[in-house]
Amino acid sequence: MARLASGREATVLIDGNNFYASCEALMDPALIDRPLVVLSNNDGCIVSRSAAARALGIRMGQPWFQVKDALERRGVLVRSSNYALYADMSQRLMSVLEEWVEELEIYSIDEAFGLLHRPGPASDGSGDLTDWGRRLRRDVQRRLGLPVAVGIAATKVQAKLANRLAKAAGKGMGRGAGEGVFDLGAVADPDPWLEAVPIEDVWGIGRRLARWCRLRGVANARALRDLPSGELRHRCGVVGVRLQQELRGIACLPLERLPAAKRETCVSRSFSRPIDNLPQLREAVATYTCRAAEKLRRQRQRAGALTVFVRSSPFNGTSFYANAATITLPLASHDSAALLAAALPLAERLFNPHKPLQKAGVVLQQLQPETLLQHHLLVPQSPEQERRRRALMAVVDGLNRRYGSGTVQWAACGLHRPWAMRRGQLSRAATTRLADLPTVLALH
Amino acid sequence: MHAVMPDPSPEPSAEPFAGLSRRPSDPQLTLLGGLTAAERLRRWPLPLAGATVAAGFPSPADDYVEGRIDLNEVLIRHPSSTFFLRVSGDSMRDAGILDGDLLVVDRAIEPRAGLVVVAVIEGAFTLKHLHRHRGRWRLEAAHPAYPPLELGDGDDSRIWGVAIHAIHSL
Repeated sequence: MARLASGREATVLIDGNNFYASCEALMDPALIDRPLVVLSNNDGCIVSRSAAARALGIRMGQPWFQVKDALERRGVLVRSSNYALYADMSQRLMSVLEEWVEELEIYSIDEAFGLLHRPGPASDGSGDLTDWGRRLRRDVQRRLGLPVAVGIAATKVQAKLANRLAKAAGKGMGRGAGEGVFDLGAVADPDPWLEAVPIEDVWGIGRRLARWCRLRGVANARALRDLPSGELRHRCGVVGVRLQQELRGIACLPLERLPAAKRETCVSRSFSRPIDNLPQLREAVATYTCRAAEKLRRQRQRAGALTVFVRSSPFNGTSFYANAATITLPLASHDSAALLAAALPLAERLFNPHKPLQKAGVVLQQLQPETLLQHHLLVPQSPEQERRRRALMAVVDGLNRRYGSGTVQWAACGLHRPWAMRRGQLSRAATTRLADLPTVLALH
Repeated sequence: MHAVMPDPSPEPSAEPFAGLSRRPSDPQLTLLGGLTAAERLRRWPLPLAGATVAAGFPSPADDYVEGRIDLNEVLIRHPSSTFFLRVSGDSMRDAGILDGDLLVVDRAIEPRAGLVVVAVIEGAFTLKHLHRHRGRWRLEAAHPAYPPLELGDGDDSRIWGVAIHAIHSL
């Protein structure tokens, strides 16, 4: 097979290694080199592990309550998700990366695609970007104290693979893997590298598609690349063919430079303990609705429809219950009161006294720009009314921004909230709140 | 001024707005999409925040307006790599850093001899002067009572950042 990337443009995927655990250790040096796990919302399962925790064989996604005692015995430290810290470190990371690549697409809290210029053909060494990647890694480590992995290739799907190879140490990988930087366009023969990546780890291959591939003997990225396109088109249409083209080094997924305007906004959380009464469910749904409305106003959007969903715990042994209800709003709105009036009756409809609920959520849909309000013939709203509601929302948002969220809230949200998310092991907002700054000792 | 309300008595139709779009010439009934930017501005004028029009003489200072002094600009050179820490203790007293000071730390600055650095010692952030002594890095307190600490060869990762300001409230 010919070189993967001989063109002038290359795609890079940069992501943080164990991002949450790394952020925790950055602001609390007692965690450096220690086995550490970070738990998901409500201290549910393990979502990030430090290198030392990985080495102990702790797996991602394990429910915390199942492994709690075993980890305690082995001295593993635990933190709840500290989103204030991770979001701030994410912004810092992205602004450093912007200095390194011409175009950056922020893909998630800790990963970004970038467009690079390959100075010459990779084969003669002049276009090898491995050294560039090493310098980037050192710079991020020095300025932010965060380890990142850098995968470079011709396309996004390939860059994902290269990023994986940059991280994969051991596991029968050849020389060059697992060193934090991998340039797939600079290796003489990419085939053995693609064979080292199992089909399940190819970006865009879900669980069902992976099973379909395995049944056909397509076990790794190389086999998928060389599968006849017709078969793939038959199974998953143009999406599959595009994925295969990307694997072959032909870019089909352009960099998304501007985040698309959000078409949905969702707020959902699991409860600290199951909810089996309507007043508490109403409080929870009201709280999530207000939070979602706040997000909407910040995005300068209005919602045309609203969905409330609930579900019971998959672990409690009783029969699983999940349900959702949607209402179309007569007039698109971002007014907390209007959205509450729509959401609370849905909560009542979904409540079942015999099904203790573990999680609920509110999704605002059919979002439209605030400036384009379509008036409804049958739901008149006087301009004066509209102006006053707007002013009220602005005051509420202003107070909550200035004095902390929850300073002013709707009574429906409740005061004590015994159901509220558990974050028992939460570290401090060390980079975003003055009262939470870490201490530096001048004692010896 | 506010959005123009459509005429509340449209032609009978299955689609409530179908009647409107057929009569775009009627200014009362034009839908938002059909408007030019200028038309939109005319109908929904944006408030000009604080744009007061003085009827008298123009201010003689108008040509000299500058931005106010922004402490962020003074104290922070590299925003993405700057962190704040709170000082506890008096071992850096002679360097002018006191207990309770707000420390501005910039990780982008290369640690050099003579700078005040935040080092990680026994799992804690510790504030020290960085010195070079017989070819080795050495951490020293700015206080006669505390002995210096030599750094080994692989120890430079223990320098967490360079302190560039200590903000002391009176």
